[in-house]
Amino acid sequence: MKRQIPLILCFLFGVVMLLTQFSPHSLSQGIYEEVLNWARIITPFALVFSTITLLQTHITRIRRQTEHWQYSFLVFGGIAIMVVVGIPFGPQNPVFEWLFNNVQLPMDATMFSLLAFFIASAAYRAFRARNLEASLLLITAVIVMLGNVPVGDLIWNKLISLTPWADTYANGSSLMKQWILDNPNLSARRGIILGVSLGVISQSIRIILGIERSYLGGGD
Amino acid sequence: MELFGIWIAAFLTLCIYSFLYKDNPFYRFAEYLFVGMTVGYGIVLSYHQGFIPFAWEPFMDVFTGESLFGLIKLIPIGIGLLFFSGLSSRHTWLIRFPSAILIGVGCGLAIPNVLRANIFEQTRGTIEPFAAINAGTLSGMEIFSAILMVIGVICTLTYFFFSVEHRGPVKWVSKIGIAFLMIGFGSAFGNTVMGRVALLIQRVDFLINDWLGSFVALF
Amino acid sequence: MLTKLVNMDRRIVFILVALAVIIPMLFPISLPVSISEPTQNLYEFIDELPADSAIMLVFDYGPSSLAELNPMAKAILKQCFDKDVKVVGLTLYAVGTTMGSDLMKEIAEEKGAVNGEDYVFLGYRPGIELVILGMGTNIADIYETDFYGTPTTELPMMENITNYDQIELVVDLSSGNLTEAWITFANVQFNQQIAAGVTGVIISQMYPYLQTGQLIGLISGIAGAAEYEHLIQSHAKGTLWINVESFVHLLIIILVIIGNIAFFVQRKQEE
Repeated sequence: MKRQIPLILCFLFGVVMLLTQFSPHSLSQGIYEEVLNWARIITPFALVFSTITLLQTHITRIRRQTEHWQYSFLVFGGIAIMVVVGIPFGPQNPVFEWLFNNVQLPMDATMFSLLAFFIASAAYRAFRARNLEASLLLITAVIVMLGNVPVGDLIWNKLISLTPWADTYANGSSLMKQWILDNPNLSARRGIILGVSLGVISQSIRIILGIERSYLGGGD
Repeated sequence: MELFGIWIAAFLTLCIYSFLYKDNPFYRFAEYLFVGMTVGYGIVLSYHQGFIPFAWEPFMDVFTGESLFGLIKLIPIGIGLLFFSGLSSRHTWLIRFPSAILIGVGCGLAIPNVLRANIFEQTRGTIEPFAAINAGTLSGMEIFSAILMVIGVICTLTYFFFSVEHRGPVKWVSKIGIAFLMIGFGSAFGNTVMGRVALLIQRVDFLINDWLGSFVALF
Repeated sequence: MLTKLVNMDRRIVFILVALAVIIPMLFPISLPVSISEPTQNLYEFIDELPADSAIMLVFDYGPSSLAELNPMAKAILKQCFDKDVKVVGLTLYAVGTTMGSDLMKEIAEEKGAVNGEDYVFLGYRPGIELVILGMGTNIADIYETDFYGTPTTELPMMENITNYDQIELVVDLSSGNLTEAWITFANVQFNQQIAAGVTGVIISQMYPYLQTGQLIGLISGIAGAAEYEHLIQSHAKGTLWINVESFVHLLIIILVIIGNIAFFVQRKQEE
């Protein structure tokens, strides 16, 4: 029962959604809308599960006193302050907005900006033209990096002005970048999209039919 | 209050940048606080903008509604409540019920729509330029691009096709596929650099113009 | 010497990167911006919309991407308010809610646009594809009130807007794969025109959708934002930042060249 009923539910809801999308009949459309409504009602509860998992992780860290366990109190503190202000007064509350704009936002934005330093360091240390494939990657990256910024066209136009083709081939840096994105990049991405989409469709069919069951997790 | 906010934001920004020197308590302070506040923000938004309009209001409508048909809304609400079984390790398996429904609905929706958006449309996009070639409406460069696109797509797909051993002609076709992929990844890398650097520039702009600018306002 | 150069402390690279940002920020310069076709297409689409038509602006990003997407959001809002095009703002990404609300208020104040008449901000709803599909039937079913609690049906602007039939264009500003969700569900099911503004990380994967017309336009990262600011002739942060960005890109390219020269010299020596 613990595994069979979820498999049956998944099959039923999957098949109903699949079939009702093809029928314009009012009964079919009514079922389709109602199932969408059900899913919309269930969805907000899903956050409960992820929050419980996070809290359990940090409770375990504190209980076992693993490395830096003291900082887990900050996680609880952060959750508490937002919830205490946000739940009773709503996300439109000025204090909640202040906390978001002056505490959460700068941390979030800065955390990801660290990657700029690491990407530069990694490019310096590891970006090598070792073989043909790596050279293609490197050359394309350099062309795109130059084409993305105004200084790319500035350098190009200065250089091309020394030749007789200055007017014909102006802004070559950004044009080259655009050609790469529009052509070879497009082909590669399309190949990936086609491959991934076929994978999504086949995996969805396997899930609906109960062949793929990993989402049920372990246990009986 | 605005000035105080700028200083708090600047302090937290510098706490995180201190990681560039090495891992330290200031960085960890900001890191853990960030995780907590982000989850807290998510809870508040999901409660007010998700739970209330999608679950609580339909629940209340059941009692105030004119039709008993509204009672049917109690079923998905009850199923959603099963997510709370995560609080008890003995009853965690109950989470499978709402998860199975959401996954079933997601899969049922994905199959026809992904098929149309990503398989049919992308195949049409690959083949359609040849109709234009046939009609004689494309320039020489556009014809070259159309042919290059078909070659690229076929070669890339061949590289991902593992049902046939990559030997002989297949090996060469898949090698061309790798070349296209490398150009694709190279362009993605170039664009990613632009994105990440933009994030840094925004923070530096904040520190220089807003935070250091606030000193000027002070004196 | 070469080994030392290749193995130099990464913190020296960090300092160089920081200097490449700080110095041009303190002494800003102005460089000419070239407009790319996908940005031009989006600009022209909105520019040709008649007054009182409506677009949907979706803030599918959080603070980690605000540097790239806020400038484009501001530029699009300015263009719409100048053209009397109504804007329905919303987000499918919880962390984008406060930012979306603040940003719409800020530009509305600047342009004298009125909440409920010239623009609305509906806020956030969870369940990406469920929300996109639901709005195809009736926006008010999904958003019974706007973000500030006013019933959607009581907002003057929403009187004539029921679903996608009255929305000329959805512009999805996205830091993840939500643009693909809009294409997969809104474009496929309701024939809704979609355009996107995306972060650098996902620019490349949007091009197949541009070629098929599933996307009618694309703003690509901070470069695209600067292009859009140039098109609406309102130079703001996007333009300032792309000029600063020029120096960092040059630095990274120089570092890559130095690294490669050292690599080849070392390899030759080993041979």
